[in-house]
Amino acid sequence: MSDLLLDAQQLVKRFGPRTAVDGVSFSLRRGEAVGLLGPNGAGKTTTISMLSGLLLPDGGEVRLGGQPITGDTDPRKRLLGLVPQELALYEELTARDNLEFFGALYDLAGAALATAAESALKFVGLAERRGDKVKTFSGGMKRRLNLAVALLHDPELLLLDEPTVGVDPQSRNAIFDNVEELRRRGKTILYTTHYMEEVERLCDRVIIMDHGRVVADDTLSGLKQRRTHADRVFCELVEVRDGGWLAGLEGIAGISRAELAGTRLTLHVTDLHGGLSRALEHLRRVDVVVASVESQSPSLEDIFLELTGRSLRDG
Amino acid sequence: MRQLLALIRLDLKLFLCDRRALIMLFIVPIGLASFMGSVFSNSGGKSSVGGGMGILLVDQDESAVSRGVVDAFASDPTFRVTVTNEAAARDMVLNGKRPLALVLPAGFGADALPGLFDTNRKPVITLLHDPSRNMERSMVEGMLVPKVIQAVAQNGLSADLGRDFIRRGLTNLDRATQVGAHEQQLYRSMMERADEFLATRTNRSLFGSAKGSTNGAPAKEFNLPLPFVTKAEALVKNTKGEYNGYAHAFAGMSLQFVLMSLLEMSVGLLRERESGMFRRLRAAPLSRGTLLLGKGLSYAIIGLLSLGGCFAFSMVVFGVRINGSWPGFLLCLVLTSLMSAALGLALAALGRTPAGTRGIGIAVVLLLLMVGGAWVPTFILPRWLQSAALVTPTRWALDSLDAMTWRGLGFEAALGPVGVMLGFIALFATITWLRFRWTAE
Repeated sequence: MSDLLLDAQQLVKRFGPRTAVDGVSFSLRRGEAVGLLGPNGAGKTTTISMLSGLLLPDGGEVRLGGQPITGDTDPRKRLLGLVPQELALYEELTARDNLEFFGALYDLAGAALATAAESALKFVGLAERRGDKVKTFSGGMKRRLNLAVALLHDPELLLLDEPTVGVDPQSRNAIFDNVEELRRRGKTILYTTHYMEEVERLCDRVIIMDHGRVVADDTLSGLKQRRTHADRVFCELVEVRDGGWLAGLEGIAGISRAELAGTRLTLHVTDLHGGLSRALEHLRRVDVVVASVESQSPSLEDIFLELTGRSLRDG
Repeated sequence: MRQLLALIRLDLKLFLCDRRALIMLFIVPIGLASFMGSVFSNSGGKSSVGGGMGILLVDQDESAVSRGVVDAFASDPTFRVTVTNEAAARDMVLNGKRPLALVLPAGFGADALPGLFDTNRKPVITLLHDPSRNMERSMVEGMLVPKVIQAVAQNGLSADLGRDFIRRGLTNLDRATQVGAHEQQLYRSMMERADEFLATRTNRSLFGSAKGSTNGAPAKEFNLPLPFVTKAEALVKNTKGEYNGYAHAFAGMSLQFVLMSLLEMSVGLLRERESGMFRRLRAAPLSRGTLLLGKGLSYAIIGLLSLGGCFAFSMVVFGVRINGSWPGFLLCLVLTSLMSAALGLALAALGRTPAGTRGIGIAVVLLLLMVGGAWVPTFILPRWLQSAALVTPTRWALDSLDAMTWRGLGFEAALGPVGVMLGFIALFATITWLRFRWTAE
């Protein structure tokens, strides 16, 4: 069996004159957890829709298990479990009724369906509420049930489209625990979000999308290593005299920029060891006393900002 | 098949959870059909209109003949008569409190009989009517003729009136210079003999015993004969049961609410699509055809439950009977339900959005119900509209149910409407197939 579970090549999707997805390519290996990161409107949901067979691409191809998905009833769809961004649940029905309905769509029936439903309810911690109508659930519980529905038929690949939108911190943590457990069970996960911390916690690899294109596809450490963004070093000064010495800092090799705000000096350092030593020596020479030094590596947010020129929350 | 059954089961569960939908499909049509049936039907052969059509009579003559006319209307169960004066009658008709008033003028009794022979001496009965109530006006005008003739015959043809008529005739004969002497003599002789006969009948009805019997009731020995008699025969094929007008009322009202409810469910289908539910449905190995078939069948089952429930109620409470073929009736119910479901889906396909579908759907459904005869009998519609009704599925559905219930026709009579309804189902299914979008974006 090939290690490659999903392979998307040069996906293009247009809605009228607007190109929502423009030549997106990436692949998922079995057991991998990948974050699909991008601001609203980046094309994440459209990409997910094409991967799960909801939308036909205008260009390119999706292969699942080595074969393209052909038609609505392609049995390869059973490999997929989609957790849509919307709460796709029937509020007037009980949690168990919802699971039984969606399970039947995957040809589950009888004892197998009952077992799968019970197992999914237990997995998301809703077994005690199985007989309650969904409309009585909190937002977080609905999100967890939304996840449970996708697990019913035990899919190999889970496509989670912003699964924590609008949930309380407790439910959010519960969903994180669920996803981590699914990773441990060897499921392949594509996790779409615009929350950086979710990707950092749950995924080994990150695909960053913007304006319908993939702007980066790498492991977290790989992304951080290939950064052009500088480390930042924050120096708390004891006393600040005239700022003539500040310009001298920017001429030092390994220091790209220096900013002073009150007694807080921020150095943008491209060579942490050599640059920082030279900068501290310069400060000593001009009689600027440093009380403390703190360094900060660039975050995923910084990398995203660097790659796209805008913040994730800009939308 | 498992997916199809799951889709059907889902909609039935959702329907049973929705108290508003249950009320709309069972309680409201039963209530309205009961009301409509009681107003318009002729249940058990007893006229329900008789308790209802209130008319006004103004008797300015107060003669035996005019009282006879008033009595004739009052004793007819079709009318509820109020005797009043002309000013009050005009006021009540003007304000819509009564559809019409008949004013019998002073001298009506004296002039009514001569009016039969003398074109210059006819009393004028004024009919004051509400211009929006022409049906009632036509009905009263039609009933007026026999009632007046009956009153004149009973109260006007007395010996005294006859002798007075002869006296006036002889006086006129004396002035008739154009008539020859011989003819005058013959005529005078004939009239004098008639007067002799009438003299023997003074204070008595013309051809009967003494006017006023021993118990004081007016004598009824003589009626001026009409040139015809009517014999009413209600035509139903199967005479096991009587005509029951509730049958049509229940067919019309239950079909109306089935169509309205299925329209609402189709709007709900589009809401599902907009809410993202379709993304989850489509992620499963489910075809568009299975989804639409599942929806169509579940809607049809719900429609069938509603139609069946309403008819069962009408049978238990109002004595509606399937005087025709039971298999035919069941087949018509099934086809009516399928046709309604297919129409709902076609409207969803054409409307595209929930708001668009509701707008188009309400207009189409109301038009089909009105033209198809669900509210009023089609015979009162203009001729062109009656022709147009033939291309409405509702007309065929209602006709088929009427045929199997009160008309008492056999199974073969159901086949025509069933064939037409199958055609409509095919048409609506094609529209749905071609126009229904299930793409998520």
